[in-house]
Amino acid sequence: MVFAGLPLAQLLMIAGGAASVTVLLYILKLRRRAVPVPFARIWDAVFRDRQATELFSKLRRLLSLLFQLALLTLLILALGDPKPKQSLIEGRHLVVLVDGSASMKAIDVKPSRIEAAKLAVKKLVRGLGSADRALIVQMGALSSPLSTMSSDVTELDPAIDSLRASDTRADLERGLSFALDSLRGLPKAEIVVVSDGVLGDVTEIARHVDLSKTTLEFLPIGKSGTNVAISEFSVRRYPLDKSRSEVMLEVANTNDHPAQIELTLLGDGAVIDVSRFALGPNERLPRYYQDLAGASRTLEAKIRFADGHADDLPADDHAFALMPERHRARVLVISKGNTYLEAALLLDEYLDVTTVPPGKALPSEHFDVAILDGVADALPDNVGAALYLNPPDGGVPLKLGARLTDFGFDTWDKKTPILRFLALGDVQVADGRALTPNAGDRVLGASDQGPILVSGARSGHPFVALGFDPRNSDLVLRVAWPLFVLNAINSFVEEDTSYVSSFRTGEVWRIPAPSSIDSATVIDPHGAQHVVPVKEGRAVYLGEEAGFYKLSAGSGSEATSTEFAANLSDLNESRITPVAELSLGKQKAAPVTIGAPGSKRELWVYLLAVVLGLSVIEWITYHRRITV
Amino acid sequence: MGLLDLFRRETAPRAKRRERALFDDEFQRKLEMLALVSRRVFAGRLRAERRSKKKGSGIEFADHRDYVPGDDFRSVDWNVYQRFGKLLVRLYEEEEDLSIYLIVDCSSSMAFGDKKKFDQARRLCAALAYVGLANLDRVTVVGVNDGVISRMPTTRGKGRIFKVFEFLSQLEPGGATDLGAALKTFVAQHKRRGLAVLFSDLYDPAGFEAGINVLRFNKFEPYVVELVDPAEARPSLKGDVRIYDCETGEERELTITDGMLDKMQRAVGDYRASIERFCAQKQVPYFPADVNTPFDELVLRVFRRGGFLR
Repeated sequence: MVFAGLPLAQLLMIAGGAASVTVLLYILKLRRRAVPVPFARIWDAVFRDRQATELFSKLRRLLSLLFQLALLTLLILALGDPKPKQSLIEGRHLVVLVDGSASMKAIDVKPSRIEAAKLAVKKLVRGLGSADRALIVQMGALSSPLSTMSSDVTELDPAIDSLRASDTRADLERGLSFALDSLRGLPKAEIVVVSDGVLGDVTEIARHVDLSKTTLEFLPIGKSGTNVAISEFSVRRYPLDKSRSEVMLEVANTNDHPAQIELTLLGDGAVIDVSRFALGPNERLPRYYQDLAGASRTLEAKIRFADGHADDLPADDHAFALMPERHRARVLVISKGNTYLEAALLLDEYLDVTTVPPGKALPSEHFDVAILDGVADALPDNVGAALYLNPPDGGVPLKLGARLTDFGFDTWDKKTPILRFLALGDVQVADGRALTPNAGDRVLGASDQGPILVSGARSGHPFVALGFDPRNSDLVLRVAWPLFVLNAINSFVEEDTSYVSSFRTGEVWRIPAPSSIDSATVIDPHGAQHVVPVKEGRAVYLGEEAGFYKLSAGSGSEATSTEFAANLSDLNESRITPVAELSLGKQKAAPVTIGAPGSKRELWVYLLAVVLGLSVIEWITYHRRITV
Repeated sequence: MGLLDLFRRETAPRAKRRERALFDDEFQRKLEMLALVSRRVFAGRLRAERRSKKKGSGIEFADHRDYVPGDDFRSVDWNVYQRFGKLLVRLYEEEEDLSIYLIVDCSSSMAFGDKKKFDQARRLCAALAYVGLANLDRVTVVGVNDGVISRMPTTRGKGRIFKVFEFLSQLEPGGATDLGAALKTFVAQHKRRGLAVLFSDLYDPAGFEAGINVLRFNKFEPYVVELVDPAEARPSLKGDVRIYDCETGEERELTITDGMLDKMQRAVGDYRASIERFCAQKQVPYFPADVNTPFDELVLRVFRRGGFLR
């Protein structure tokens, strides 16, 4: 027997002191209960016998004292946390990686795989030896420890109970790395993976993670799985008709047999389309919904089997998307008159256009964008951005270079939102000027004679400058012209061009937010609030649940609120057929051996139980006036 | 005062209800029944009117005595004079009302155990008073502890029973017991001798004999009704206690066991036996009254035991 708590010497000191106090209290005369009697004389006959009973009374009091000392001894022993000697033998150190990915929400085992995993881990913990210690880790997109490395069942049980499955994939490599870090330097290190084996491609993990000094064990969860999934879901508004939208989604049948499924689309919570179709074995079927009307803000897609039955994984049967907000952009045109420009601006009904001739006083209200046609006046602060068309020499924001004739776009940035989907290769320009970009400016388009389309920012105001008059080219006769103008405006008002209709769970999201703030609040689909940092105008957050989110930023009059959606969108997680063995390339995980439950108990618990039992006896004897 | 005492202490309205219940209609009906029973049982032979031993001016001859100067000539028995030549005077028995003194012990010990003894004493006292009043006796009720604490003036006639009720209701137990001293005061205040019924638990530190002897020695006819509460013989006590006398405050420290309680029961039995023995020796009628026995049953036992009505 050894004491894992207070050392023996200290225990003896405490015992000595406490016993002395107890004995002293017993030596002191007891205060007797005062009881009235009608005639004390009669008691004299009884009183004469007191001497005879005094010894017995003393004995009983002595018994009571011994009883108290026994209680004291047991409590002090419990304080010492006694353990059997065999517990000194070095035990195993286990990191239990419990898969918390979306596939663990499958209900092929009742009530769900994650609950079955909890039961299995509890059995595992109860079967640990008295010297074994375990650390419970939830393995999702990130690996989160839920307990310390402990042998205490009372600490491990709540940790196991707090396990939950999220709408993310499980990153086994990250989990193993975490486990190895946790086990570094500890003897008899073991990693137990508790999972359904739906972990994606894990064959390469052994190359990156050194498991040679660690025992890897696998505890499989799940029986079978029938699942159909929405593996992709995206929506965008038509650039030229923002009242209408286009939806792209992909449904997948992860089973080895065909399935009849029913797909329901909901716009703003109301059903806008229901369709039924067949999916072949393991088939992925993309579907497009063009000219979809009836939704102004939210879109949801739901699938189920056509016979009304749900599959084994409800998590991927529901997808969410949000349509971009529609703003009316205020545009100031400073021009002597440009029919092509005016025509292009008429195409977007969400533009409020104000035209001012050059040299006239500019309106004082705020404008998102100013289009300066053939002029390069200094812009006041009430204008957010500028599009310069054929800026004159000596103006702002650029210096003009050599005069160009008969040129075109020889190179252009096809990835920039401004030139997205534009075919500029055969545009012919009669004459113009090369632009001289400053440091930090970006050349979006250039002829072989010099840059002709440049973007940048001056004093915080972004701009795009075109080095020629579009009327001196055939650009104005092409579809590319209005798209160029509208894309440029959209890029300035930060609308649509970079819009993401839904994020993917388990990844780090960078959500657009005002660049002037450092932190924002993300409200998840369950209503929980998370304060997240904002870096360079993007709120950074790792989301693990599918659904609609809300991002609140700023306060008071500057408060802004945006919504966004998140989806699982992971076909690997949707393939829920469990695996019986875990193989990381050449390394194969061994099956878990679970010991007999109850093999580890703390002795102090029994001691306290005895103290409790003795206290109950004391209570009974006291109230029955046996010991008083 | 402990918390329990607060609960135990009677509030004024509760005490009033209790006093009203003491002599309620049911009680009065039982009294009437007892009066009738007493008449039927003792009719003819034992009437309430008693002939006193005093010789006086009655009509029934009692005895002769020698003539002494100053005697009324009309009472000289001239027939005897003719026969024997001696002047003898005829004596007649003088009839008078019986005086019944009902003495209630009002010491603290009578209130012990929820006033059961005191209430039973008052009921018995009221019952005997009623019987006495109904038989045209002179009834006096007195409350004593270590002195005479209260006295109801002598009264007669059945209609005065409510005065008796009122008097008994106003009695409050308290103080120590000293029957010797109290009854000495009593006899000094009541020159007219008669039947003196003592209602008491006889827990007198000076000895119960003293009080009874005072009555005997002063020509009263004592009748002892001992109030007995069986719970006092075996109290529900266990363990280390400090007992104290509710009247004198005397203390004893004891560790009470079942054996001690048995011994206590025997001691109480011995004490009561000594009272009974003393009364038998002194020819004093003694009657133990259990507080748990209905008072009317006790009164009938008193009648059957005899001595109260002759």
